[in-house]
Formats: sequence, structure tokens, C-alpha cells
Amino acid sequence: MRKRFRRTREFIDRHPRAASLSVGVIVLAFLWATPASWQTSTLRLAVPIALAAIGGIFAEKSGVINIGIEGLLIVSAFSSIIAVYWLGDGGATMGVSNLWWGLLVGILVSVLFALIFAIVCIEFKADQIIAGLAIWLISLGLAPFASRIVFGNPNTANITRFGNVTVPGLSEIPIVGYLLFDTEPQVYLMLAGTLAGWYLLSRTSFGRWIVASGENPKALDTAGVDVRKVRYAAVLLSGVFAGLGGAGFALGTLGTFAGGGDTAINGRGFIAIATYLLANYHPVGAVLGSFLFAGLNSLQTALQSAGYAIPHELVRTIPHMSVIVVLVLVGRTRLPDAAGDHYESGED
Amino acid sequence: MTESGPGTTDGAELATGSEGDTADHGTDMGQTGTKTGTGTGAETGAGTDLAVHLDGITKRFPGVTANDDVDLRVERGSVHALLGENGAGKTTLMNVLYGLYHPEEGRVVVDGRERAFDSPQDAIDAGIGMIHQHFMLVDSMTVAENIALGNEPTKWFGLAVDREQIIAEITELCDRYGFDVDPEATVEDLSVGVQQRVEILKALFRGADVLILDEPTAVLTPQEVEGLYDVLEELTAQGKTIIFITHKLEEATHAADAITILRDGESVGTVAPERTDREDLAERMVGREVLLEADSDPVATGDVVLSTQNVAVEDEWGVDVVSGIDLDVRAGEIVGIAGVDGNGQAELIEAITGLRTPDEGTVTYEGTDITDWSRRKRIDAGMSYIPEDRHKRGLVMPFDLVENSILGSQRDPEFAPDGRIDWTSVRDHTDDLIDTYDVRPPDANADASSFSGGNQQKFIVGREFERDPSLVIATHPTRGVDIGSTEFIHDRLLELRQEGVAIVLVSSKLDEVRALSDRLAVMYEGEFIDMNDPDAITEEELGLLMAGEQLDEGANSASSASPADIQGGESR
Repeated sequence: MRKRFRRTREFIDRHPRAASLSVGVIVLAFLWATPASWQTSTLRLAVPIALAAIGGIFAEKSGVINIGIEGLLIVSAFSSIIAVYWLGDGGATMGVSNLWWGLLVGILVSVLFALIFAIVCIEFKADQIIAGLAIWLISLGLAPFASRIVFGNPNTANITRFGNVTVPGLSEIPIVGYLLFDTEPQVYLMLAGTLAGWYLLSRTSFGRWIVASGENPKALDTAGVDVRKVRYAAVLLSGVFAGLGGAGFALGTLGTFAGGGDTAINGRGFIAIATYLLANYHPVGAVLGSFLFAGLNSLQTALQSAGYAIPHELVRTIPHMSVIVVLVLVGRTRLPDAAGDHYESGED
Repeated sequence: MTESGPGTTDGAELATGSEGDTADHGTDMGQTGTKTGTGTGAETGAGTDLAVHLDGITKRFPGVTANDDVDLRVERGSVHALLGENGAGKTTLMNVLYGLYHPEEGRVVVDGRERAFDSPQDAIDAGIGMIHQHFMLVDSMTVAENIALGNEPTKWFGLAVDREQIIAEITELCDRYGFDVDPEATVEDLSVGVQQRVEILKALFRGADVLILDEPTAVLTPQEVEGLYDVLEELTAQGKTIIFITHKLEEATHAADAITILRDGESVGTVAPERTDREDLAERMVGREVLLEADSDPVATGDVVLSTQNVAVEDEWGVDVVSGIDLDVRAGEIVGIAGVDGNGQAELIEAITGLRTPDEGTVTYEGTDITDWSRRKRIDAGMSYIPEDRHKRGLVMPFDLVENSILGSQRDPEFAPDGRIDWTSVRDHTDDLIDTYDVRPPDANADASSFSGGNQQKFIVGREFERDPSLVIATHPTRGVDIGSTEFIHDRLLELRQEGVAIVLVSSKLDEVRALSDRLAVMYEGEFIDMNDPDAITEEELGLLMAGEQLDEGANSASSASPADIQGGESR
């Protein structure tokens, strides 16, 4: 048994690209095998996980572990719904649909929370895990509370969701067409966000700085780049991505915000963290991973409606379980060396 | 630019020595000329072109004056060594030049212009590059990414890093200075010597004309040191100026065109290497006469104290890092283990000391199989251990020295007669250690973290030596320790040997293992490739063995590389 693990590890060590590619192919094949309605639902359910994961990658790559990403999803989902409600459901403001304004508000609120988190972690050198948990717990309490003030109920009113946007021509392509080019705005945003995240991280100088800031901040500092600024930028970016994910999910998929229990977000931020760890911080891998977990989620829904009552609690453990299994089998997830550490310039 | 007597170099002499310089250099002269020197003064070469002039630098930290009116004048195109013991203020002085510290007094003059650096970025802009002792490289990134970090040329209006341009510039630099570095390689795959070259390239990429190297040879094998000297030569030949910080006498005399010696934050003079010798330098550096060669009279060896049979260790990936090690250490014998760091020495020592269970083989101590013994049992049985990582394993950093002094012997009846620690006797013990091993400052109540590395090391060595051991496992016992204290630690090691203690000495300092060891093993990729009488093998041969080469085929290249004077019998 141990020998087999080792052989798997050795293969992955030697051919990391081939290994990740094959995992990607397996995930896509798995989705391929599911009926069309699942596929669309999978893509929608993947939105908050994928975008939150990309946000988390930016923060953690820069050395700030943002475990509060769940909280960012909650506040952005809630505030986007309430913004649309206040502006007028189904209406438009200054010629732009209120849904888009809601999306903007969701992102801004998420960025605001990310900023608080960043200040606490970078300026006041708080423990990142504790600060992140605080962000989550505050959001978990704040959103239902605000909803109760506005609606007298932890659940918000319903709003009219985003409708499908069809790209003429491209949507005629079999399978890919209806999946990717005849879908809701948040799915487009997820795909665009993935590409943007990947590009930013791997092709721009800013991306290099983020990696250096998380691996060896002193090297970055001596190279004349302000580590604090890079980390602020990365954490705020995680706020942008998480906000996009939370608000997009609320406005496009849910149409409401349920504040009871774990709220409508229901641990998706934590699944996002598991997802990017699984993907070893690769944005595209994280998105594929989110397809896998969202797919399992829609599978569970389908099974339940078919009469097989698999408890959703059990299904929700799958991402976390699979992270453990993958870590045991592969052990390729490598935390940035300086993740979780404070950095102070001029320290010897 | 040389100076004979001790004492601070004189500002006035500069004025005589630099006729025909630029106008703003002239103003600089005017200012220095008015300053009265405190040293004995001396001659300086005519027509000097100074790349760097630090004039009367004083830098104070709370409670300490790290630099006291230090002058440093570095000629363009020369290699200038900054020699001094730990804590002499070498690094502080260079940090002033590099913009990390602001001096309380004094002027920083680069290329004849007075500068006030607020940050390293200002220094970089002025053409100063620093190669830190611990490389400032991101291991998971490529050479090119590291070299360009923070200075990436971009294309498409800043939307993408222009990798082609980076590669082209690096290739050009490599060609010009004769470096053989693959820009696409990942840094963690490179040897330390190549990583150092990457650091140098990084500075050159940023347009550095003056390169500061902080203890550049600390991590290199003798062959790599030779390579570094070649690099320095090539750089100065092309007009670059080098300042390197060292506490190793041989390096200063071998590689430098001028040597400035610092002691206790003050400059004790600048000398030309051809006008001095190691004894003279050591004396200036320490302030008293230093015995450079450790005596090791033969001692009759006793029974085998430590024995390992076929010990093998796998790392967490299942790769063999130690395999088939057979080692016998007798009472009254020092067995040295030489090797480039990371060839399994650390894992072997962990297996012997009980920090790790060997995957194969047995460890026997005084005739008993102790392979599965706990640390506690081993310590109680008289096994002392000076760990490689003093912060992680040698000390509890937030504890004071009193508490640290009984780590491992906290249950010893001497300190805890009734199960409770008798702090009065522990304090006495601590004071003895501090006194005997010259730990500075001598404050038993100070936290371990507040001491410099060298003093922490002296304290650990003291604690372990005074345990009354029958076996001492000493890994890098003098790492970071200045020559005065190194001399003392070596003497104590030899005394212990005389008393019949068995000693295993792991060190990357070749002269140290050679001078002290009765037998010397060379470790390469987890195996002993040779076990030798250290007197029967030259330093160069040893270096080749450490690099994994067979002596027969490597002998020719070794003899061409001017052996003895490179590293022979260095700092102790």
C-alpha cells in the first residue's frame, strides 16, 4: 500500500503538469457524464466557490492566510440583495440594471471587510487565523441581524435574478455552447475572473511580487518592493473576488439571502479554501476543483429528489475529506513559506 | 591605500591622496580636510579614485555603539575586505552604506558625492548592491524571476513581464562576467555557489557598481570559494568595486587589495595584505595575541563509546538521505564528519542523538543498543549534543539564560534535589557558564533571544560541555563564533578528549575538522565516502571528496588551484 502511494507521489513529482492535466480531464469527464441540467446547475453552484478560491489564492500566496473568505461571501451576498431591494427590484438606476449596482455594492462591502482584515493582520500583526475567524463570525452574525432589522426576518425578500445572456453564434456550439455561452452573467464573470486571476498571478510583475511576498518577503523587500503594499493589495483583491462570488451567487442563483443557520453561503468559503489547497494554488485548478465539488452538490440534490436521502451534511464533508486524502496520497500542496508570518521591514 | 599603525584612518590624508578629482569630490575634500584624525595616520596611494568613502560613521543602538567614528575608503575597481570578529560592527557599517541604518554621525560618500540614503532603494539607485549572507532569493521561482524581482521590464503597457528581455539581459551579463547560470532554472535546484552567483547577477542587473558581500564564503565549499575569487577578479577587472565582510583571515589576505579591520565598533586600521600576515591580522582583530593552531597531542583511546551499525534514514518522501553508516567512536577520540551541508550529516546526527529513529540499523552506546531510547534516557546516560540549529533546538528563545542553562538537566539531582528546581544553584551554575565561556553581555537574567548568535553558541557549548558527558556530539560548534572564542571552544574540546570523552564533530569548516579530528569521515549523499587520517589528506583533496569526486581523477585540478593558502588553518 505504502509503495503504491510512493509511486503515485513519484509520478506526480516527476510530471506535475501531466498529473494536474489528467485530474482536470477526469473532472471534466465526470461533468460530461452528468445530464445537461446538472451541468448548468454545477456551473452556477461553482461560482462562489471558484471566485472565493481565486481570492483566497491571492491572499495566501502573498503570505496572508484569509480564512475569513466565508465571511466575505456572506456579507457580499447579503449586501448585494439588500442593495437591489432598496434600489428597487427589477428596476434600473442611471440606466444600469439595479442588479449590477447590487453586484457593485456586494463587491465594495466585501472589499471593506477585507480591508479591515488586512489592517488587523498587517498593521496590528494579529494572528491571521484568529482575525479570519473573527471576520467569518462577525459576518455570520451581522448579516442575519441586519436582515432582521430591515425585513423583520433573518431571510431577505426575494428579488428577480439575473437572466441568461446568450452569446449569438457561439452558443450554437454543441455542449460548450449552452454551457458557456448561454448562461447567466455570474458564470461569465467566474470564467473571466479565472482567466484574469491566472494571468495576473503568473504573467505580471505584480503576480511575481505576490509570490515573493509569500515565499520570502525579505527578498522582495531588499529588491525594493514594499511588502506591506503587496500584501494589502492581495488581501483587497481577495475581497474583490470573494465579493464577486458572493454577490454573483446571490443575485444570479439564489435571488434571496437566507440568514438562518450557516446562512445561504453554507460553508462555501471553507470549501473554497479546501479547493485551492487541493489545486496547490493554481487558479485554473481551483476552478476545476470547484466544478468537482459543485458537481457533487448537484448530484446530492438530484439523488435526494430521486428519493435517495443522502444527508447533505455528509456530502459537505466530501471536499474536506478529499483534501485530506489528496494530502496523504500526494502531499504536493505546499504552503508558501512565509504564509501566516508577519513581516517587518528592517528586521534582521 | 594602506596604513600601517592601528587607529582610525585619518581624514586629512585623503586630501593629499586625491588630487585631480572632480569638483564635487573637491568639496568633499574640503570638509574632510578640516576634520582632525584620531589615528596615527599614514600614507595613501596617490591619485586614488574612491568609489565609496564612509567618513567618521557613528551608529548607536540603545545601549551600544555599534560603529564609533569609523572611516572606510574603498578604491574603485578594488576588492576591499572588512575584517572583524562577531559584533565588531562590520555588518552595521555596511547596512549604513546600504541605507538600512541612518548613522548618528558621519558622511556617506559614493562616487565623490555625499549621499543620504533613506532606504536600500536609494542605495541601489546610487549603484550599490548587497549580497546578504542568507541569500535573498525566492526558492520556488526561476533564476530570471529572482534576478528581475521588483525591477521587471514590462511590455504591453505594463500588462505583462517581458521575459525575453530579462533572459537576454541576464545572458549578456553572464557572457560579460563569465558566469554559467541558466536563467530558466529554479533556484531551489541550484547549488549554493550558483545561488550566490544569482545574487551577484541580481545586483548587477540593477546596475550595481559597488557590491557588498556579507560573509560570502560561509556557505561555500573550497572549490566554490575558488570560483568566487575568480568571479571577484572578473568583476574588478571590469571596473566593479567589491567590499566583502569576513571574519576569516585567509579570505582577507587572499582575495583583498586592502583590508580594514574593525574591533568593538572602531576601525583599527587599513592594511595591504602583502604587508601583513595572519598572526598580525588576528592580533589586531582580537586585540591580543591569538594562537591560531590548535594543539592536539595524541591521546590513548579507550573503549568504543558510540557505535552505529548500518544506519539508514529516509526522509519524509521516502528517499534515503543516510545509508549504511558504520561508525565507531572511542573514548578519547575526536571523529570528524566533513561534508557539504545537506548530505545527510544532520539526519545521521539526529539518528544518533535520538531526535529521529533510524529506518535501518542500530546505534550502540557504551555497549548497549540505544536505538529506541528516548532523548531523556540518552541525556541521562551522558550524551551531550550541540545542535546545528541553535534557535530551534539549542535554546528556548524567550527564556532567560538561567532557565536555558538546565535544559536537559532539569531533573538532575544537582539542580532539582527534591523534584523541584533549586534556582539558586542553577543561577550559580549559569554564572559559572557565562564566566567560563565568556558570554557577553554577562547577564544571566537576559532572554536568550537578546544575545548575538556567537554568544548564544558559546552558552550552548558551555552547557553541553559542563554536563560531564561521556560522548559529545558537536555539530558546527563554532559556527558564527569569533576567533577568540573559537580558540577557547577548540581548547575545551581537546581537554574533554584528553579526559577520555568520545567526540563526534560535524563541521563545514574544513580546517576545524582537520585540525581537531583524530579520524575524519567525509559524507556525501548520505554515505561515508572515505575515512581518513586528517593529516594524510590535503584541504583540496578533502574539498573534492566533499563534492563527491574520486581523488584519483580529481587530483590534477586540485593541485592547480594553489592549495594551502586558501583556507588552511583558518579562524580559530
